[in-house]
Amino acid sequence: MDISTLIAGLLTIAILTFLYRDNPIYKFAEYLLVGVSIGYALVIAWTSTMMDLLFEPLAGGKFSLIVPLTLGLMIFARMVPRFSPLSRIPLAVLIGSGAGAAIPAMLGPRILTQMSDTVGNVVGTGAGPSFSGIVVLIGLLATLSYFYFSRPHQGALGLSAKIGTYFLMVFFGATFGYTVMSRMSVFIGRAEFLLSDLLGFMK
Amino acid sequence: MKLEARHWTFVGLLIVVVGAMLLGVRPDVTISDETQRMFEYIDSLPEGSVLIYSFDHESSSLPEIRPAALALVRHSFSKGHRIIGVALLAEGTGIGYRLMEMAASESGRQYGRDWVYLGFKPQYIAAILSMGESIEKTFPQDYFGTPYDSLSMLSGVVNYQQVAGVVSIGDGNMAVHWIEYGQSRFGIRISSAMTAAMVTTYDPYISSGQLHALIGGLRGAAEYETLLKIGGGGQRGMLAQASAHIYILLLILAGNVIYFVSRRRRD
Repeated sequence: MDISTLIAGLLTIAILTFLYRDNPIYKFAEYLLVGVSIGYALVIAWTSTMMDLLFEPLAGGKFSLIVPLTLGLMIFARMVPRFSPLSRIPLAVLIGSGAGAAIPAMLGPRILTQMSDTVGNVVGTGAGPSFSGIVVLIGLLATLSYFYFSRPHQGALGLSAKIGTYFLMVFFGATFGYTVMSRMSVFIGRAEFLLSDLLGFMK
Repeated sequence: MKLEARHWTFVGLLIVVVGAMLLGVRPDVTISDETQRMFEYIDSLPEGSVLIYSFDHESSSLPEIRPAALALVRHSFSKGHRIIGVALLAEGTGIGYRLMEMAASESGRQYGRDWVYLGFKPQYIAAILSMGESIEKTFPQDYFGTPYDSLSMLSGVVNYQQVAGVVSIGDGNMAVHWIEYGQSRFGIRISSAMTAAMVTTYDPYISSGQLHALIGGLRGAAEYETLLKIGGGGQRGMLAQASAHIYILLLILAGNVIYFVSRRRRD
C-alpha cells in the first residue's frame, strides 16, 4: 500500500466519523478538503489563465491584452470608495457579453427545440400521436398552468393546476430517487476503496 | 457513547453495503436504451475517429462517475479511436489525466499518437465556443506544455468538424452548456456520462435528440460494463446498491407503519 492510499483511506474514515457526531477529526478533514480544493483550483487557474493567457502573451509582445488586464484591475476599484464607480465598467462588459452569448444560445436549445419536440411527438410523426407524447404534452400544459398566477386557481384553471402539481410530484419523486441512488453510489465507491485498496479484503 | 436511532440506521446501512460487497455476487443488469445507444455509438465509429472527452466534474463525484468514465475510455481505446482529453472544471483536470493515462497504458495506447490531454481551460462557455473555431487557439499547448502542432495526433484536427463527438463526464449542468454552445451552434454530437442525480434533468434533451446518449451513475456504468463484457466498479457495486435501496424502502415502510400505529394509539 502506498502512502497516498493510506492518506486517502484515513481521510475517508475521518469524514465518515461525522455520522456519529460533529468532532475535531471530521473538522480537520473537512478544512483540509476545502483548503486543498481551493489551493488546487487557484494554482490551476493561475497557470492556465493568468500565466498562459495573460502574462506570457504580454511578455511576447501581445499588447492588446492590456485592455482586458486594465478591465480586470478596474474590478478592484470597488475597494476604494472614491473610485468604486469604475468597477461598473468591467461588470457591464461581463454582463453584456455574457447575456449576448447566453440568450440566443439558451432560447434555441432550451425553449424552441424543446417546444418543437413536445408538440412534434403528438402531431408531427406520420405514425400518429404517441401515448407518451400526449402524456408529456398534458404534463407540460398542466404544470405551466400551475405557475400561472394572474388568475385565481379556480374552475378549469384550478383543475389543470392541480393536475400540474401531480406531475410536479412525480418529477420530484423521480429526482429524489435518483439523488438517493447517486449518494448511495458515492458511499459504495468509498466503501469499495476502503475494502479493496486500503484493507485488501476485495480484489 | 450514546447511540441514537439514526446511528443504528447508519450501522444497518454499513452492514448491508459491506456485506453485499464482500459477497462478490454480480446480479444481472437490464440494459437501458440510453446506455445501449451510447455503446452502439462508440462501437460503430470508424477506427481512428477523434473523440473529445471532457472531464467536467469535481472530485466529490469521482466514486460514482469513475466506473462509467473508465468503461467509456477503455471502449474507445479498444476500438482504435483517438481521444482528446480536456477539463472544463479545474478539479477534473488531474482526475481526467490519471484516468486516461491508466486506460491508455492498459491498452498500449501511446501519448501524442493515440491520445492527448489538453488540460483545463477556464470560462467553459468561451472554451466550448472557441474550440468550435479552433482547438489549437483554445489550447495552444497540452497539459505538459507541448505545443499543439508538435502532437502528431492533432495534425489536421482544427475544430469540431474533424471530431466525431464530445463525451462530457459531468456531475452538473456542463452537458447542457455543451448542448447549447457545441451541439446547437456547431452541430457536434454530444453524449454524456453523469451522476444519477442529474439524469432526470437530461431526459428532455435525450427525448429531443439534442443529447445523443447518456450513462447515468453507477447503474449506467454496470450496464456499460455488461455490454463490454468486462468487470468493473459498476458491476461490483450493483448488489450493494440494490441491497441499500431495499434497506431504505424497508426503513420507509417501517417508518410509515410506526407512524400510523402510534397515531391510532394516540387517537
